[in-house]
Amino acid sequence: MEPRGEVFVLGLILSIVVLLISVMISVWARRFTRSLGDYYVAGRSIGALNNGLAMVSLALSLTTFIGLTALIIEGLYVAVAVYASFTAAFIGLMVLAAPYLRRHKSFTTMAFISERYDSKTLRYISVIVMMIVSVLYLAGNLKGIGIVFFFLLGVPEIVGIVVGGLVVTLYVTLGGMYGVTYNQTFQTIVLLFCLMFPVAIVMRTLGASGWVFPPLGYGDMVPQMTEAVPHYFWAMVAHPVVYIAIFLGSFIGIIGLPHFVMRYFTVRDAKEARWSTVICVFLVGLVNTTVYATGFAAVYYMQAEGVDIPTAAYDYVVFILVEALAGDGWLALAVAGSVAAGLSTVSGLLMIMGAGLIHDLYGAIKPEVDDETKLKLSYGAMFLVGVAVILFSLDPPEFILEAIMWSFGIAAAGLGVPIVMGIWWKRTNKYGVGAGMVVGTLIAFVSWIMIGYMGMDPVDIPFPFFAKYFYGPLGWIKVIAVAVPISFILTIVVSWLTPPPPENLQRQVDEMHGWSDVDPKRYNGKGLPIVIIVLSVFIMWFMTTLYDQFPK
Amino acid sequence: MNNDSKRGYKLEVWVTAICFAIVAVTGGFFSSVVVIMNEVFFHQVPTPENLVAAYGETMFVFKEHLSVWGFPLHYFLLVVLSWFGATLVGAIWCLVMDRLEEKQRA
Repeated sequence: MEPRGEVFVLGLILSIVVLLISVMISVWARRFTRSLGDYYVAGRSIGALNNGLAMVSLALSLTTFIGLTALIIEGLYVAVAVYASFTAAFIGLMVLAAPYLRRHKSFTTMAFISERYDSKTLRYISVIVMMIVSVLYLAGNLKGIGIVFFFLLGVPEIVGIVVGGLVVTLYVTLGGMYGVTYNQTFQTIVLLFCLMFPVAIVMRTLGASGWVFPPLGYGDMVPQMTEAVPHYFWAMVAHPVVYIAIFLGSFIGIIGLPHFVMRYFTVRDAKEARWSTVICVFLVGLVNTTVYATGFAAVYYMQAEGVDIPTAAYDYVVFILVEALAGDGWLALAVAGSVAAGLSTVSGLLMIMGAGLIHDLYGAIKPEVDDETKLKLSYGAMFLVGVAVILFSLDPPEFILEAIMWSFGIAAAGLGVPIVMGIWWKRTNKYGVGAGMVVGTLIAFVSWIMIGYMGMDPVDIPFPFFAKYFYGPLGWIKVIAVAVPISFILTIVVSWLTPPPPENLQRQVDEMHGWSDVDPKRYNGKGLPIVIIVLSVFIMWFMTTLYDQFPK
Repeated sequence: MNNDSKRGYKLEVWVTAICFAIVAVTGGFFSSVVVIMNEVFFHQVPTPENLVAAYGETMFVFKEHLSVWGFPLHYFLLVVLSWFGATLVGAIWCLVMDRLEEKQRA
C-alpha cells in the first residue's frame, strides 16, 4: 500500500478524538488515586465486566489489525491456529493461575515470584525477564501506531510514534491503574465497533450471505475460494510440533506475561477474576474470528475478483479492503480502532514496567522507603519509562508479530513456569525455580538474538545443539517446545533434589486455593510433576521425529 | 483434612485438569492431530494445469462431505472450539469453582 500523499482528514480527526478522550478519562480517573495500591492495582476495586473489557483491549494489540491478516493471506491454517491458541489460552490462564494470583495479594508477577519463593534474587531475575518481554512486546506496538499514522493518515511515522507514545505516557502517568483500566474499557468498545461494522460492510459487498455476522458468515464463499486457491485450507504446511509449540507459548506464555497477570491483581476477588476471563475470551474470540474473516475476504478479493494487492501491503489489508469496498467513512473508523488497539496494549506494558522498576526493584533494594515516597517516584518512573520506550521505538527490531511471538516464548519459559508450579506444587522451591527460569529464559532469549534479531537460519545456529530441528515454515517457533519443557523439568528435578520450602511458604499454596486450614498433603503429590516431566520429554522427542516428512 | 475438604480438593484438581486438557486440545494438540491424520480430512488430487507451476503435480483439498456451514470440518472445529468451546468450558469451570468457594467459606 502506498503511503497517502495527503492527510486523511476524517481518519485523523477520529484518531485525535480517541487520543483526547483517553487523556480525559485519565484526568477524570486521577481523583480515585490516593495510595500506592490505588496507583498500581486500582485499589483492587475493579469488577468482572470492567476487567474483562480491559483485558480484551490488552489482548488485541495492533497485530489484530496489522500482521494477523498478512499471516492469514500467506497461510490460513497456521495463522488461525496461532490465534485460536491465543484465544483459548485465556481459559488456561484462568484455570491455572488467575483466581489464585488474586488471592495472593501481590501487586505484580515479580512480587508474586519473590514472595512465594522468599527470594530477592528471584525478584531481580524476574524483573530482568519482565523488561525483556515487555520491551519486545511494546516496541512493535508503538512502531505500529507510527505506521498507521504514516500509511493511513498521511502523517510522518515519527510524529505518530512520538504523539501516540506521549499520549499513552501522559495518561498512564496521570491516571495510574484506574486511568489505564477505564481507558482500556473505552478502547475495547471503540475497537469492537470499529472492526465489526466495517468488516460486515466489506463482506456484504463481496456477497457473503452471512455478512451480518462476519465471524461465521462466509461459508457460502468457500467453494469459489477453493476453486481459485484449491488447497487454501491445507493444514500440513508445518511440523506438528509447531502447533504444540504455539500451544505452549500461548498457554504458559500468557501466564508469564506480567501485563496480563497484573489485571487480575486489580479485581475485587477471585470470583470476579474468573468471570472477567470468561467475558474476555468470548470477546477476544469474536474479534479474532472477525479478523480471520477479513483475511479470507482479502484472498477472495484478490483471487476471485482478480485484484492485485502487493505482498508488501498485506499488513494493511484490513484498511485496503475497507477503503475499496466500504468507503472512507468506514476506513476512518477502522483507523481509529487500530489506534485504540495500539494505545491499550502500550498502556498496560508501561504500567507493568513502571511498577516493576519502582515497586519490585527499587522497593527491594530500599525496603525502608515508605509508600508515599514510592507513589511520588512512580509518577516520575512511569514518565521516564514512557520517554525511553518512545526513543527505542524510533528504531525497534522488526515489526511486529514475530517479536510478540518471541516475547510469549520467553515469558513462558521465564515467568509462566514458576507461576504455574508455585500455585500447583508446594514442593517447588527457589533453587528449582531459579534453575528453570534462568536456563529456560536463556534458551529462548539467545535463540531470539540469533534467529529473530541477527536473522540467522535456525538450522545453522550452533546453540542449542538440537537447533537443526527448527527447520521449515515457522520452524523457529519450535524453540518454545524446548525452552518451556526444559524450564519445567529443571524446576521439578532441582526442587526435588534440594530441601523443601519452609512451612510458611507452603501455607501460601493452601491460601491461594481458598483453604483456611493447612494440609501438607494438598498440592504436594508426585502425580503432577511426573506427568509434566513425561509430557515435556515427549514433546522434545516428538520434535526430532518426522524429520523427512515436512518442508525444510 | 476432613472428608468434605478432601472431596472439595479432589473436585478442584480434577475439574481443573479436565477443563485444561479440553482447552489444550483445542489450543494446539488438535491441529497436530489434523496434520498427523491428514488423510482423514484431505485427499490428494492432480493439480489443474494452470497451477502446476505453483503447487506441483498433486495437491491436497479438503473432503467436501466433511464440511459444516460451508467450512471445512477441521477449520470449523478449530475456530468454533477455540472460541465458543473455550468460553463454555471456562463458564462451567467458573460455576464449579463458585460453588466450591461457597463451601470453603461455609
